[in-house]
Amino acid sequence: MSITSYNGSALVAMIGKNCFAIASDRRLGVNFQTIATDYQRIFQIHDRLYIGLSGLGTDVQTLYQRLKFRHKLYQLREERNMRPETFASLVSAMLYEKRFGPYFCEPIIAGLSEENVPFICTTDLIGAKQFSSDFVVSGTASESLYGACESMYKPDLEPEDLFEVISQALLSSVDRDCISGWGGIVYIVTPEQVITKTLKGRTD
Amino acid sequence: MRLDFGGLDPVSLQRISSADAGFDLPCNPIGSAPSFHLPAVADLDGFEKAAVDMVKPLHGTTTLAFVFKEGVIVAADSRASMGNYISSQNVKKILEINPYLLGTMAGGAADCQFWQRNLGTRCRLHELGNKRRISVTGASKLLANTLYSYRGMGLSMGTMIAGWDETGPGLYYVDSEGGRVKGKRFSVGSGSTYAYGVLDSGYRWDMTVEEAVELARRSIYHATFRDGASGGVASVYYVGPDGWKKISGDDVGELHYKYYPVSEAAAEQEVVMKEASSAS
Repeated sequence: MSITSYNGSALVAMIGKNCFAIASDRRLGVNFQTIATDYQRIFQIHDRLYIGLSGLGTDVQTLYQRLKFRHKLYQLREERNMRPETFASLVSAMLYEKRFGPYFCEPIIAGLSEENVPFICTTDLIGAKQFSSDFVVSGTASESLYGACESMYKPDLEPEDLFEVISQALLSSVDRDCISGWGGIVYIVTPEQVITKTLKGRTD
Repeated sequence: MRLDFGGLDPVSLQRISSADAGFDLPCNPIGSAPSFHLPAVADLDGFEKAAVDMVKPLHGTTTLAFVFKEGVIVAADSRASMGNYISSQNVKKILEINPYLLGTMAGGAADCQFWQRNLGTRCRLHELGNKRRISVTGASKLLANTLYSYRGMGLSMGTMIAGWDETGPGLYYVDSEGGRVKGKRFSVGSGSTYAYGVLDSGYRWDMTVEEAVELARRSIYHATFRDGASGGVASVYYVGPDGWKKISGDDVGELHYKYYPVSEAAAEQEVVMKEASSAS
């Protein structure tokens, strides 16, 4: 089996009205065997910036730790948080440094700018950035996710509706993938608050 | 008793008579073994080896069967996976050969369906020719001999034949390598190890039918939980003196929350209020 489908993952982020949502599944497996059902793939960089990492579990954890380290240094030097676009460039540069021995991760960066404009972006495993004004997907269930998002997404959704759309897209896609699923976790970030919701899904 | 040795003839000796030359399907007079056209390639073995990998879509599965005091329980999941993609959550993996014989499906779906239907035909012919039902021993032997004669050709089947005959409940495991084993407990498929864990620790010879059905259901559920290639619906059949009966077909997604209900104490929603920016 391919190294990027060794652990299994599903990630999706969507833009709403002055808000964004990022969601992931919770399974960690070794090929077909399920090891954990509460694995964390979405990490907070600062209170308006989240990164979700799909792919090989060890690279997910290592890459998050390195990015957290770099952002903390940035905070010390610049005395402010990184803007989402800047962070996306940082991720892209760090991934390309390993061009000939890459991290087997495909990150999704999602953030809210200072002007409360939502920003989402995904990169491939060697750092090619891809911005989007509607949704981005990543992981072993990505093909199903593309289909589900394309049909369910509408622009300018309020946070409650955005939560419904992203949850349904995630759950219906992981139900067609053997190696992702076991529920989900969704973060909805608005200018005032961050709402975290856990989804009950199929456990087969 | 008229004994049927047709299955012992190697495939290569079966020729298609000129009368059947017009047919593409392996249709022959009823009762004789189907004869298949072989591909006209120089390296038949290499070709068959390469073809084997194409034929294994139903590799991921969990099926189990066990004998106990009251009869035989047969259970299976219902997921078909092609690599990581779930192609179906609704596959019938327990095949009804006749009203008192059941077969399970693991490996190549087409192989299992075709040869178990063929087995049903030959069991019926046995009944007509001998005026009595075939035993489970006899039925499993018919299938095993057929599969043995196709050994090395790339069939992929790991099936269990379960039934009730004059000697009581019977259970055999038959596979496409030509193996045939009699036993009291079997589990076959990628999820079989997980099912064995639950089945072996909960098994007793003198269970009631309800306890046995619940044990089978739990075993399939636990296999679908841990094995990514098993899932869908856990079907359970019971074979008794009057033949088989389908007891239940429960969606394992719902079984999970029935066995492990979510406690409402955990907060479903955390609202994290943002502090003002720490520094300007």
